[in-house]
Amino acid sequence: MLPQRSESSVSDQLKIVLGRRYRFSASHRLHSEKLSDAENQRVYGKCNNPYGHGHNYVVEIQVSGTVDPATGMIANLADLDGFVERQVIEPFDHKSLNKDVEAFRERVPTTENVCKEIYQRVKQFPLATLERVRVEETSNNAFEYAGEEIQDRAAVQ
Amino acid sequence: MAILVHSSGKVLRFSSREEAEHFLEVTKDNERDEWILEDEENSDAAPSGQASHICAAQGGERKVMVYLTRKIEFSASHLYHNPALSAEENRRIFGKCNNPHGHGHNYTLEVTVAGEPDPVTGMVLDLKELKEILEREITQKMDHRFLNYEVPELKGQIPTCENVAKVIWNLLEPKITQGRLHKVRLYESPDLYAECYRNGASRA
Repeated sequence: MLPQRSESSVSDQLKIVLGRRYRFSASHRLHSEKLSDAENQRVYGKCNNPYGHGHNYVVEIQVSGTVDPATGMIANLADLDGFVERQVIEPFDHKSLNKDVEAFRERVPTTENVCKEIYQRVKQFPLATLERVRVEETSNNAFEYAGEEIQDRAAVQ
Repeated sequence: MAILVHSSGKVLRFSSREEAEHFLEVTKDNERDEWILEDEENSDAAPSGQASHICAAQGGERKVMVYLTRKIEFSASHLYHNPALSAEENRRIFGKCNNPHGHGHNYTLEVTVAGEPDPVTGMVLDLKELKEILEREITQKMDHRFLNYEVPELKGQIPTCENVAKVIWNLLEPKITQGRLHKVRLYESPDLYAECYRNGASRA
């Protein structure tokens, strides 16, 4: 028989988080309609070049939940991989983020915004709780988003 | 509270007289006489509440929590199979991880210990000691082993990344007596990891 989880006080409980990394390659151009051409050039520099440029992005997803004693898993990786593949990788990979992804028609596809958009999409995964999303634009630039609640938590501390 | 005043004017604060005396004991002989030990009634240098999640006030001294991470690697084999399920269900749920003869990974383990650096040594804990704990508790038990059959702590559990991380947490937590175990992150491959920490702990 597989062991049952023992119950203890919530603050003492061990939290288990699963982290998974995915990759996609896409192009983008940083240009805000709210700014003049000169201002865009000043704010975004070479990222404002008119035809855009691309990156190999790495997306790291963290989910938490209870570990099912029958499977030893928070969520079956095949389910998580399939969900992220359909919701994020397929629509973003080898695409122009500005032109091919609806969310970035109006919003500048900075990696901050890409990170938040991926968070909103993966938040819908029904089989585990999304903890945070990290997006590496290059090996030197990374952005993390953990939803609104992290600010509440910081305020409490 | 106790303070040590150096002939140069430098002042060190300690939370107790014993701590200050300990500092003097390990100070070089020719330096010891330069210090004067004084008791301090109360400190007016009380820290503000700001950033208290990393700086816990103790007396007048601001104590800064430091997170130290050590990494080790080990290689092991495993297979996913639940005897309570049919062969078909096992294949459906676990896929190729259900291959009866098992398969292997190069695991990377990151162990994070939280603590306040000792005022004398400047260390949260002795890295050499942590290295020995990891060698004894993890490497010797898991490196070049078949996790299902050779690690008794995993008996009756599916050796997923989640469960192995939890077993590692339970092996290490009682052994780390300087500072406290804050987080364990176990990579099964560069793209997959599980991590364990106490509910409510900060995510440093």
